[in-house]
Amino acid sequence: MRALADLWAAYGVTLVFGAVNAVFALSAYAVLAVGVLSFATVVFAGIGGFLSAQLAGAFGWPFLAILPFAALAGALAAAAVAGAFLRLESHWMALASLALVLIGRVVALNAPALTGGVNGLIVPLRATPWELAGLLGLCALAFWRLDGSAYGLAARAVREDAAVASTMGVSPYRLRFAATLISGAVGGLGGAALAFTLQFLSPDTYFIGLAFTMIASTVLGGAFHWSGPIAGAFVFTALPAAMQAVVPQFEDVAKGLVLLAIMIYLPRGLIDPRRAALRRARAHG
Amino acid sequence: MAEAALLALERMVKRFGGLAAVDGLDMRVERGAVHGLIGPNGAGKTTVINLISGLLAPTSGAIRVGGEDVAGLAAEAIAARGVARTYQNVRLFPGMTCLEQVMTGGWLRREASLLASFLALPSARRDGRRARERAFALLENVGVAARARDLAETLSYGEQRRVEIARALASEPRLLLLDEPTAGMNAQEAEAIGSLTRSLSAQGLTILMVEHNVGLVTAFCDRCTVMNFGRSLAEGEPRACLDDPAVREAYFGRKRDADRMQTHG
Repeated sequence: MRALADLWAAYGVTLVFGAVNAVFALSAYAVLAVGVLSFATVVFAGIGGFLSAQLAGAFGWPFLAILPFAALAGALAAAAVAGAFLRLESHWMALASLALVLIGRVVALNAPALTGGVNGLIVPLRATPWELAGLLGLCALAFWRLDGSAYGLAARAVREDAAVASTMGVSPYRLRFAATLISGAVGGLGGAALAFTLQFLSPDTYFIGLAFTMIASTVLGGAFHWSGPIAGAFVFTALPAAMQAVVPQFEDVAKGLVLLAIMIYLPRGLIDPRRAALRRARAHG
Repeated sequence: MAEAALLALERMVKRFGGLAAVDGLDMRVERGAVHGLIGPNGAGKTTVINLISGLLAPTSGAIRVGGEDVAGLAAEAIAARGVARTYQNVRLFPGMTCLEQVMTGGWLRREASLLASFLALPSARRDGRRARERAFALLENVGVAARARDLAETLSYGEQRRVEIARALASEPRLLLLDEPTAGMNAQEAEAIGSLTRSLSAQGLTILMVEHNVGLVTAFCDRCTVMNFGRSLAEGEPRACLDDPAVREAYFGRKRDADRMQTHG
């Protein structure tokens, strides 16, 4: 019991941030799973985060009570983004969503009534590790069900070959719209989780750094199964701490090397159902 | 006669920049027929298939499926009107098992809503089981049921073509478009595909197939259309079509080529 407490003291923070990053990675995965690369998760997170900070500040609502509002706000923002951007070609969609992140920061800086502006915003309450674990578990449950439902099969078809999917009656646009709504809701939840973990928000909280973390986590863990982004987020979050422990002098270099090694040897990520199936096929051969 | 045509193309034009790949094509496919679409390379055959299935929008002209003009509709809307297809170079989804490919093809035949499916309600689970059984039966029908749970990409080329046909059939179409279903196959495999189309036709399906193998067209098609330079040269019973002087001149060209085609027939 004592050892467990020591372990938590040393790595508890890493686990907590791993869980928060996993929620962001799932939001990025929701759209990647239908073949859309988008950074708009950061914007959905900002909206969910600042909204939840304001609700906590104004009404003293606890984390769990605020979550539905954060999800709804993220999904509404996602509906607007999907309506505006989803007709764009894939790389233009990625660029447009990145531009949205840049614009989001300027808006956050210049709307102090909503975001605290340059001074930032203090979040008076905190999410417990159990609450964060519960949130991540709920998100994972939702993605597990999506994967096993008719939606999951259609999403894979659209991602692999949207034109072929359309000749089977699957509408790529409608499926991508739905995926963006899911990404928005999950992104809003992640934003609230980050707000209730950091307990301080500034316009830079929901910015490029977050975009990088969530995309890196998803690429690292694998974007072909919902468990990939979760695994990737924990590895990506734990890597600096692990490297700090093993080779403190070269922490950054070692972190970069490990990331490169994973990308070179496991280009489709840590978790890849297709790789596993191909290996089985060869074994039976 | 007018009622018998399930598919009719009227003065169909498709231009890519200055090039008219399809240039005023008229074509009729009778209900229940196996209809061949043949012509030299670059005649515009695959473009015609892409136009009918909605992957391309025509520059002008009408595409009537069961009397309704579907020209310019999105591919998914045309699929919903009972048109399914396969591709010249097999386009199965990477990472999916054969069963999953065919189940995806059955998207239009879902009965449970997506929400019910997400919540795993009993009705949705029944629907899912039914879809799985139907997909398995279709794979059995085309003779690859033994590989149902394997990744489709691990199958031989000929088997992949069969999976693709099963996937197209899963939407229970009225009209099946086959784009060179025997490309890259040996004579025996091609013969098997020919027999498969005949048995599907016997079950009431209308089939339009692009085919290079003239012998196969004369053996398995009820009617055919010969295309060149985006237009129809002849349409009717395959042997009569091939004996048409315009077809002989345009399609077979020089005498040596004609001799070679004859030995195939």
